[in-house]
Amino acid sequence: MTAVREQTAHHPPPSAGRPRRSPGPGPRRPSKDGGPGVWPYVLIAPAVLGTLYLLVHPLVRAVVISLQDFGLRQLILGDARFVGLDNYGTLLGDSRFWEVVRRTFLFMAVNVVLIMVLSTLVALMIERLGRFGRFAVLSSLVLTWAMPVIAATTVFQWLFHSEFGIVNAVLTDLGFTSFDRYAWFAHGPAAFAILVALVVWQSVPFAAITLYSALTTVPVELYESARLDGASGARIFRSITFPVVRPIFLLVFSLEVIWTFKAFVQIWVMTNGGPGDATTILPVYAVQTALSSQRYDLGSAASIVTVVLMSGVLVLYFRQMFRQEDELA
Amino acid sequence: MKLRLFAGVSALVVTAGLSACSSSSDASDGSTAIDVWLMRDSVSDQFQKDFVKSFEAAHPDIQVKVQIQEWDGIGEKVTAALASTDAPDVIETGNTQVAQFAQSGGLLDLSDKVGELGGKDWLKGLAEPGAFEGKQYGIPYYAANRVVVYRTDLFEKAGVDPATIRTRDQWTAATRKLNTGGTQGIYLPGQNWYTLAGFVWDEGGDLATESGGKWKGSLDTPEAVRGMEFYKKLQALGRGPKDSDEATPPQADVMAKGKVAQIISSPGGAKTVVENNPALKDKLGFFPIPGKTADVPGAVFTGGSDLVIPTASAKQDAAYTFVKELTGDTWQKKLAVAMSYVPNKTTLSGAVASDPGASAMAVGAAEGHATPNTPGWAAVEAKNPIKDYLTAVLTGGDARKEAAKASEAITTAMNSGT
Amino acid sequence: MTTTRPRMRRIPLNAAAAVTVALCLFPVYWMVATAFTPARDIQSDSPRLVPRTWTLDHFRTAVGADGFGLFWRNSLLVTLSAVLLSLVVALGSAYAVARMRWKGRRQFMLMVFIAQMAPWESLIIPVYIISRDTGMLDRLPTLTLVYFMMTLPFTVIVLRGFIGTIPPELEESAQVDGCTRLGAFRHIAFPLLAPGLMATSLFGYITAWNEFAYANFLIIKQQDNRTLPVWLSSFQNVFGTDWGATMAASTLFAAPALVVFLLLQRHVTSGFAAGAVKG
Repeated sequence: MTAVREQTAHHPPPSAGRPRRSPGPGPRRPSKDGGPGVWPYVLIAPAVLGTLYLLVHPLVRAVVISLQDFGLRQLILGDARFVGLDNYGTLLGDSRFWEVVRRTFLFMAVNVVLIMVLSTLVALMIERLGRFGRFAVLSSLVLTWAMPVIAATTVFQWLFHSEFGIVNAVLTDLGFTSFDRYAWFAHGPAAFAILVALVVWQSVPFAAITLYSALTTVPVELYESARLDGASGARIFRSITFPVVRPIFLLVFSLEVIWTFKAFVQIWVMTNGGPGDATTILPVYAVQTALSSQRYDLGSAASIVTVVLMSGVLVLYFRQMFRQEDELA
Repeated sequence: MKLRLFAGVSALVVTAGLSACSSSSDASDGSTAIDVWLMRDSVSDQFQKDFVKSFEAAHPDIQVKVQIQEWDGIGEKVTAALASTDAPDVIETGNTQVAQFAQSGGLLDLSDKVGELGGKDWLKGLAEPGAFEGKQYGIPYYAANRVVVYRTDLFEKAGVDPATIRTRDQWTAATRKLNTGGTQGIYLPGQNWYTLAGFVWDEGGDLATESGGKWKGSLDTPEAVRGMEFYKKLQALGRGPKDSDEATPPQADVMAKGKVAQIISSPGGAKTVVENNPALKDKLGFFPIPGKTADVPGAVFTGGSDLVIPTASAKQDAAYTFVKELTGDTWQKKLAVAMSYVPNKTTLSGAVASDPGASAMAVGAAEGHATPNTPGWAAVEAKNPIKDYLTAVLTGGDARKEAAKASEAITTAMNSGT
Repeated sequence: MTTTRPRMRRIPLNAAAAVTVALCLFPVYWMVATAFTPARDIQSDSPRLVPRTWTLDHFRTAVGADGFGLFWRNSLLVTLSAVLLSLVVALGSAYAVARMRWKGRRQFMLMVFIAQMAPWESLIIPVYIISRDTGMLDRLPTLTLVYFMMTLPFTVIVLRGFIGTIPPELEESAQVDGCTRLGAFRHIAFPLLAPGLMATSLFGYITAWNEFAYANFLIIKQQDNRTLPVWLSSFQNVFGTDWGATMAASTLFAAPALVVFLLLQRHVTSGFAAGAVKG
């Protein structure tokens, strides 16, 4: 019981939990391990080596390509020439590119807010459900999540089809006659909204399941004592539940930022970035440039800029994470 | 339990890796084995079997392994193959895609074989896109173009004789007559841009024009805008969706539901209609897309395929033997009959005289056009501003303004590539 | 607390649950229903919630497609080995980060996060070049390694989060009771980690299972090494897509995820048993 108390206390304001970590007899670093020295490095070695070879290596190649004149010809014949920062110049000098960047941020923000709000609600709901309800909701979340992207995208496309879609049929039946044969994908904002709906629909399951798993780690005794003290539901959420799940909440948040920033397949299949550029976000732009125009150099440059922008968004999260790490250490 | 499972899986992975290594394409008896990539549905199983059997009998030193490729992601796949060290030996590729691959240096120059293959009779719509900067890389394989697929019973009921439809005006009049009650006169989806291209060519316009080595979108010329106006007029004589193309949903499926009098499709589409709704067997007919005047049929886009040999192929001689045989007169005639294609030479068009679909196609093929023959065109199709243009105008946009926008997008796309 | 109040309060709750289930399942239902609908009724002028007639034709087409069994085996092999590999590798790293004090830990986590941001759709060309130069094209282990790397950062991050929420004191007291450090981890922390392991392995599974671009680009000539997503695309032809077959295939394709979940569900509940299940 005391252990539980301490654990929850140490997450939010750092003060309370700290003394517990002070040197003392420290069962956490038994000397028989040979000090803190080797073990952690042994444990992370496979991950580091794997990343170096499987990710850093290609990433470096991508950076090199972005500094070269590299198209289909160079891919086949392999005689690429270095052009310095020319590709970045071309990219950053393109007004279309900046519009795409703006749109990407909008897309990300709308999606992430919707996903976080909805999935928190769903997670709290699951926690309160009975055994059967919980099983039903969890299973349907998993099914949603497991539905192949292509199938999900196609179904959404059908639902909103101007001629054969059930959405138009239902809206028309309800008396909104202006939706008779309404061409959703011909209107930028409408197409954008449908894509948001699709991405949110596909993302909520992961976020909700993860948040729910985190909720189950909140020790039940805490709730009981809070309830005995007569705390309200909102109060319990604010001062007990949220502090415990906060690290995971922030984690899910940052992952969703990354994923919506990188949303690609849905857009590619459903609208190909159109109508016009209305649904073109950075990854779509990068692939259009790289694979369709076969300018692998410009495409690489675009995705490296994307990574930099994404890191910019997440810098705050990193700082937060480091503070936590320091606290743990 | 977990550990055992893991060990089992690792063992499986190892064996899979081993089996992947052991596949060598060279046959044991010293003969040459070649890999050939054909596209899904480009030949029937029966034709493929017959051809390979007869080919291997005639060339006992060559073994043929045909792989059927899927349309989805084929551009990337061919790119990957051309750049690999162990490429397939013959690849079927869309006629308009040869230029970009040729420019990259990944294809074998076959210019010196043109005479031997009877190149002077090749269909222009296949041969020209197969050439790049005066050299021939793609060998014409087969062609297909769009015709009008119509319901004979509905035409009869409405009292329309398809043989009298020779001009656009007669066509729209007949379609209007058919477009009553639950029946759609024509199902023309809003983004069938190949059909628009035909109407634009009819008017003397083009999708893009070149001057001084620079390409420029030309949908905003008065001729091209007239083509768009006709498209809009025709599209209104049915309930085709304004914001999707002929593949979403497949228009053959829509026609199979029985309430559509005409679609614009290659004749092969009729087969799909009958497959989905056997009741329509013997109720489908074909006529060439009508032109502006009775003496010239409507212009059409020549679709089809060329065969290419990658420079990375290790067996180019055997590959050439294969190409020569498959594009030669004997098998071209059989292929055209089996698949209702237009054969690769104008001199062979008689082979399909008895096939109503293919002969309607052959009439149109005389007015066959290709998309602009430049590597940059692929970038236009990838983004396809023409589709956006169609939808914008059909949903009430101003044709002239939208055309200017689309032309600019085409210009940008064409010059962004190389 | 009387028994009626909670029951009353459950009504809006259960209604919300029902709405959630409906919203989640509607597109899934549409996929499954389409898989059973005869081709001529798919996408008709008057969309219907329940198909007029049912057919198994699409499933026959899907299962009868060339190489169905082989693709299935390949996908399973690649997916399972990638997921297990990343779970094992990640568990070590996550434990080191969450429970040990060492120099370079911040840098390590930063690396993991940056790895999570990797623009995989643009790395396809470099990965291709590297595989080509090392003779790894056309081989399933290449795909396994790529999928392993795609899921690894995520797995590390999530597992670290989960280990972080387990009070270290629980393990410490077990150690005091005479367990070794490893034993303490296995008996105390591991069961509590089950939900986390479930979430992460499902994620890895779904990512690897659905991946098309790399499977299409890296497996070139060895058709026998193709995976299921490539099979899904085989119902497209020049005249459009056989949607009935595609949906039937997708249904079969999604089924394993549900099975995996149902299998893991037991672990989840046993993980809860420790104290999270409320009366």
